[in-house]
This record gives sequence, C-alpha cells and structure tokens, in this order.
Amino acid sequence: MPPTDASPPPAANIAESGSARPFEIRRVRTRFLGLTLDECIQGFFGGNAFVAVIILALITVFLFREGFKFFPLNQDNLRIYRAAGLEYVQHLRGLDESHLALNRYLQDVRLRGLQAMQVEGVPAAEIKARLAPFDAWTNAFGDAIDPVRGLAGEMGDLSVAAKEAYQQNEDYKVARDQFLAAGKTAEAQAIEIKEVDFAANAAVLRGLLPAAREAAAGASAVIEAQLAALPVFPVAELQPRLARFAELGREYLATYPAALAGMEAWKYDQPVSGLEAFQAFIFGRQWTTASFWQDWYGIVPLFTGSLLISLIALVIAVPFGVGAAIYVNQISTPREQRLIKPTIEFISAIPSVVLGFFGIAILGETLRRLSGWEGLSWLPGFPYAERLNALTAGCLLALIAVPTIFTLAEDAINNVPRAFKEASFALGATKLQTTLRIIIPAALSGIISAVLLGLGRVIGETMVVLLCAGNRIAIPDFGLGLSVVTQPVHTMTGIIAQEMGEVVRGSIHYRALFCVGIVLFLIALVINFLAQKIVRRYKVSVG
Amino acid sequence: MDSTATASVPRSRPLATPPASSAGAERGATLIDIKDLDFYYGAKQALFDINLQIPDKRVTAFIGPSGCGKSTLLRCLNRMNDLIDGTSVKRGAIKIRNVDIYGRDVDPIELRKRVGMVFQKSNPFPKSIYENITYGLRIQGVKNKTRLDEVVEKSLRGAALWDEVKDRLHESGLGLSGGQQQRLCIARTIAVEPEVILMDEPCSALDPIATAKVEELIHELKKQFTIIIVTHSMQQAARCSDQTAFFYMGKLIEFDATHNIFMNPKNPQTEAYVSGRFG
Ligand SMILES: Nc1ncnc2c1ncn2[C@@H]1O[C@H](COP(=O)(O)OP(=O)(O)OP(=O)(O)O)[C@@H](O)[C@H]1O
Ligand SMILES: [Mg+2]
Repeated sequence: MPPTDASPPPAANIAESGSARPFEIRRVRTRFLGLTLDECIQGFFGGNAFVAVIILALITVFLFREGFKFFPLNQDNLRIYRAAGLEYVQHLRGLDESHLALNRYLQDVRLRGLQAMQVEGVPAAEIKARLAPFDAWTNAFGDAIDPVRGLAGEMGDLSVAAKEAYQQNEDYKVARDQFLAAGKTAEAQAIEIKEVDFAANAAVLRGLLPAAREAAAGASAVIEAQLAALPVFPVAELQPRLARFAELGREYLATYPAALAGMEAWKYDQPVSGLEAFQAFIFGRQWTTASFWQDWYGIVPLFTGSLLISLIALVIAVPFGVGAAIYVNQISTPREQRLIKPTIEFISAIPSVVLGFFGIAILGETLRRLSGWEGLSWLPGFPYAERLNALTAGCLLALIAVPTIFTLAEDAINNVPRAFKEASFALGATKLQTTLRIIIPAALSGIISAVLLGLGRVIGETMVVLLCAGNRIAIPDFGLGLSVVTQPVHTMTGIIAQEMGEVVRGSIHYRALFCVGIVLFLIALVINFLAQKIVRRYKVSVG
Repeated sequence: MDSTATASVPRSRPLATPPASSAGAERGATLIDIKDLDFYYGAKQALFDINLQIPDKRVTAFIGPSGCGKSTLLRCLNRMNDLIDGTSVKRGAIKIRNVDIYGRDVDPIELRKRVGMVFQKSNPFPKSIYENITYGLRIQGVKNKTRLDEVVEKSLRGAALWDEVKDRLHESGLGLSGGQQQRLCIARTIAVEPEVILMDEPCSALDPIATAKVEELIHELKKQFTIIIVTHSMQQAARCSDQTAFFYMGKLIEFDATHNIFMNPKNPQTEAYVSGRFG
C-alpha cells in the first residue's frame, strides 16, 4: 500500500494540466450468471478435465470390482472339480488323450508316405498293399488304450453327474431365494434340494482304482510290445519318423506311474485356496469354456498369443518406423519429406477393421502362397497351411505401430539441437557418423519410448487380431523356434471382443473376461509409465 | 540437400601436409587467400567481391555491424555453408596453402579436420568430457587408449581447462559452467590438431571473467594455430587480434593491422564504426 504522505492527489495534477484524458483503467466485465467470461471458459475446460479424471477413475473401479469377483468363483469351480472327482478321473483321461496324439502322429506319417508313393506313380492298389503291415500295426497300437478309455468314460460319467447335480442345486437355491425374496413361500418350499453326497461318490470312484491300475497295466504292456516290434515303413525316408515315434511312445509310457500316483493322492475334500484360484488364472495353460468336462480360465495362451503377435509386429515395425524417422529427418530431400511424412501418418487413419479385412482377403493368402514358393522354403515355418496366423496379424499390427513409432521417433530426433549436428560436422564427421554417434544417442530415450508406445498400441489392438490371428486358443509352441510365428493364436483383446457378447452377465466366464481386461489395463499402465520415465530420466538437458 | 557436401568425396587428403621445411613457414606468410569471392544464399547475395589474405599463426578479427556477412565468410572457410540448402560460391576462390577449397576433388570432411570451428553458443555433446574431446579422433578411427588419454590431457591443458576438470573427465560436459563449456569446445577443436580455428563470437555468452580467460587462451593458441575470430566487441578485437577486417553490407571495407584500424583508419566508414558512431 502506498504510504499516506502529504503529496497532492493525482486528480489535482490532471485538473491542473487540463489536457489529460481521465485515467480509466478499471476492467470492463461482461457477466453471465454472475460469472465473467474468463471464469466461464476456465470453468468449462476445468470441468472437462475433471470429468475425464472422474470417468477414468470410474472405469478403473468398475473393471477391478467386476474382475476381482472372478477369483472366488474360480475357487469354487476348482473345488467342485476336485470334489466331484473330475480331477481324479482326469489322470486316466490324460493317458487316453496323449495316446490319441500319438495316433495322430502315426496318421501323419502314413499320409506323407501315401503322398510320396502317389508322386512316384505307384498304383492305388499297390499302395494299399504296401501300407497294409503298417496299418495293421497302427490299429493294434490304437486299440491298446481301449480298456483305459472305457474305464475313464465310466468314471467320468460318475463325476460329471455329481458335478451337474451340484450345479443344478446351486441354480435351485438361487431360484428359491428369489421366490423367498418375492414373498412366494409356497413355491420356494416346492423346490426340493438334495445335497450331493460327494463323499459317497468319492468312495465309489476310489473303489475303481484297482480296476484303473489293471487297465493301465494292460494298456502299457500292449503298447510296449508294439513299440518293440516297429514295422518297416514302405517309404524309406520316413523310417526315422517311426524311430522318433518309438521314442515318443516310451516317453508316454513313462507317464503312467505318475498318473496312477496322482489318482492315489487324490483327496476329494482337500480345500482349494484363493492363491490356487489366482494361480490357475495367471499361470493356467488352458482357456476352455462351455466344456462338458471342466472349464479352465488360464490366461497364458492368450497372453503368449498377444505377446507373440506384438513381438512380430515390433520386429517389423521398429526398423521401419525408426529407419523412416531417421531417413526423413536426416537424409531425405524436402520433397520426399513432404511425401513420406503425411503418407505414414495417414496409415494411422485407416480403420483397423479395414486392415483386418485386407489381412483376411489379401495378405493372409499372399503370405501363404509365398510360403509355398520354393525359393523361400529355407525360412522357418515355410511353407504353412493356415492362412490366418500370428504372422499375418503381426504384419498388419506392424502397419498400425509404424505411424506411432515413426511420428514419436521423428519428434525425438527433431528435438536434438542443431548445434550438436553442426559441432560434429565442424570436427570433420561425415553425415553417417553424425547420425549414428550424435543424433541417435541424443534421441535414444525418445526413440525407446516411441517403441514402447508402439508396443502399447499393438497390444491393445483388437480388430485386426480378432480377424487375422486365426483364433486358436493354444499356447504357441515356442519349441519350434522361429517357425512358431506361422501358428494361429488367440489374444487377450480378441477373446474379450469375441466372447463378451455371449456370456451370461455375472457368470464366472463373464468375470474371467474382466480379469483379462484388468491384465490388459495393467500392461498398458506399465508401458506408459515406463515410456514417461525413460523420457524424463534420460532427457538431454541442453545447456 | 547439400549437393556440394556430398558431390565430390575423393578419399585423398587434399590439403596434404606440406614438407617439413615449409611446415613452419615463416609466421605471417599468407595462409588463406580469398579472391574475388561472391557468395549467395539462394538468390540472395551475401558477400560481394571479397579479397583478403589471412596470415599464418596470427589472430585475425572480423568486425562489422550485424548482418554484414562476417559469419557467412567464416563459414565459407570450412564449408559449413554447404549444410545450408541453396548456398553457392558464384565467383572467386578460397585457397588455403594454395589449395582451392571449393575445388572439385576436395572432400569437405577432410577440410573440416584442418579448419576447426568454435561456435557462438557453446555446444558440447551430451556425453562425458572425455568423450567430447576424443570424438574428433574416434571418428577418424583412433582407438588406442593411451593415445586418446594423452590427447585429452594435452587438449585440456591447451584450452586451460585441465586443472578444473581433471577429476571429472567422465562426467557430462553439460555439467560445466558456460565459460568452461566454451573452453571444452575449444579443447575439442584443438584435439584434432587443425591448422586454422574459426571462432564465431566465442565470448558473446560469457561473463567478463570467462571472457578474459578465453582471450588469454587465444593468445596462447596463436603460437600453434591460425585463428580467425568474429566479434562485436571492439575492445576484444583490439586486445587479441593482430589484424582486423571490417565488413559492411557484405563487402570488405578495410583490412589492416589492428592498431591501424583502430587508431588510424583510412576509410571513413571504418572510422565511424570503430568510434561507435554507427553499427
Ligand atoms: N541461412 C541463411 N539463409 C539466407 N540468408 C542468410 C542466412 N544466414 C545469413 N543470411 C543473410 O546473410 C547476411 C549475412 O549474415 P551473417 O550471418 O553472415 O551476418 P553477421 O555479420 O554474422 O551478423 P551477426 O553479427 O548478427 O552475426 C545477412 O543479410 C543474413 O540475413
Ligand atoms: Mg554472425
């Protein structure tokens, strides 16, 4: 505040000079509802930001609330699996299933042999004759498992019946509660609930254990005899495959004791912990729904599918995106720049469903044909038969990631001060040396975060993978090396899009999908967090 | 883009080191000979008919009002202008030790190893002090650690920075003060042992103490290097240069020994400028 001294008020001076305009500096304000225009504008933008934050919070809360209820449900799911004896019978079924896989191997060998002979021009009747010993042997091998299969079926029927009875009871209980809540006591009492006696069921199943042992022993004896007497395959080149088959067969036989021990150890009333329910989701290797036997909600096949596709996409998109960014920023003529930049940026404007369509109609088929081309047969996994697979989806996702990576990397390179470049040239560096040793290192943090955000874009993409990834729910067989890329896979985003429309609201399946959503959400969160952290941590502080 | 920069790249060293006898050619003999030089930015002419002989192992100052073409001429001497689209030398020639540096078989990369440059704003790389100094040698393929260590110490001592940074050679060059950064840039330049060092207003961002240090350094450096310095400070030109060139609107107005330019200018425009009546 000015001191209250004795100087004359300014008005007096103005009056004296006479010529001065009045000293009017007060603000003129227009008001709506008692607010100035500035305040209205501030309120509008502030309100928008606030709403965005609230909505994000609501989405997060909703996602987690719906998702986390999955775990108690899954715990129950697993408990019934054990109590009803499915877990127990599964050991036997497993033996049958593995045996089936071995049979498929034999069929595959047979088919190859058949084709080889056809190519040679052997007449049909002759082929049949040559294959006859092999076929007889295969049949004997196939029949060997029959006693185990029969017993597994019988026991399976028992445990499925127990499980279904239990589930029906649960439904009845819900109905009864609804009647009671509605005040209809008579109807509620009419519903008769007979608790399932798991203990009795378990006793019956256990009683069959000696039979199971006997069946297993019988089967393994026959199989062992068969393996010892391998037939001679009519096509000599395929004989090694039979030798390999014998190895696989012995490995299979070695699983018998473990299966029987597993049956022995089964306790129908052993409780299932929450941790187990959680692990069954996070480490679960199967995603099986609406199965008459048992539903599994394991995220691993979906996660690995997403991961595989994203890796393929990045392997393609990173060199292209970063390379294009370096080229456009450092090497191209202004004319090229005006052409390349908008073109790449335009890719991101293509709706992903259109890309997916393109993938199904053109890319998938083209790649498949290409894979059949002799000159490319050295590539891992080539040739392949499935048109829609991880490679097709990965190629398209690369297209989606390139604009993100390109734009952000180009920004990062562009932000490297010109002075660094000049200093490098003034020391006698070539353009290439300057780019590699000065510009890229200085822009590296930006480039890495560009790649991370590209990854985020790819993992979250739904339409393309749903249309082009082949949607086979199975963990891709990484043991095959690089040719794993030609396998069809399913993804976390794809499964949600595909199944969410069909599930019963509130069911375990519905909640499992929410859990997958949570995992996606967390991945996105981590990626964005890392990208920001890297940019901040390594940002070049320019003098 | 810069067609001139990439057009002719023979890998021979165009400015072949002269025989030992002439290496120590007498101080003050002409090193750089600029003849009838016209320089254009696209269609815009920036330098008009420049004729100038710059002597060896001396400090030459370029002075003149803003926009008169000092930096342009300086950047012609190591062909840094090649990096700007559309620039061209339309007439005339620049010879260093009698080699036309705009000749068809000259590699500008090799030229810049011989004609180093220090910029107005210090621009160390976002790397350690050590790596800043060894950068010029590393891109020439020098890998020998002892050799690099030697050069680092020698260059830092040469730039009067050794004592201040010898304990933090592996810390970022960006952590130094402005004046230290500028001396680091000088050290980086002398590490590749050029013959000429071009300095474009090297002290304009520095305080008086840092400026004094750089000026002292220039005094030392001229024993080994030919130095050309652009400056807006009359005192600086007077203090540290042996001869001074005054430019005005793209033309060389007067070139003479520094004390003549300041005490006894022949041209009235020079007189008006150095006495502070315009500019
Ligand atoms: N990149 C460029 N493109 C076009 N014209 C330029 C460019 N750089 C400089 N010029 C022009 O060339 C003329 C000389 O510029 P120059 O930078 O050489 O002046 P200067 O003497 O160094 O000035 P200052 O003292 O302000 O640094 C000026 O008219 C300027 O506008
Ligand atoms: Mg300048």
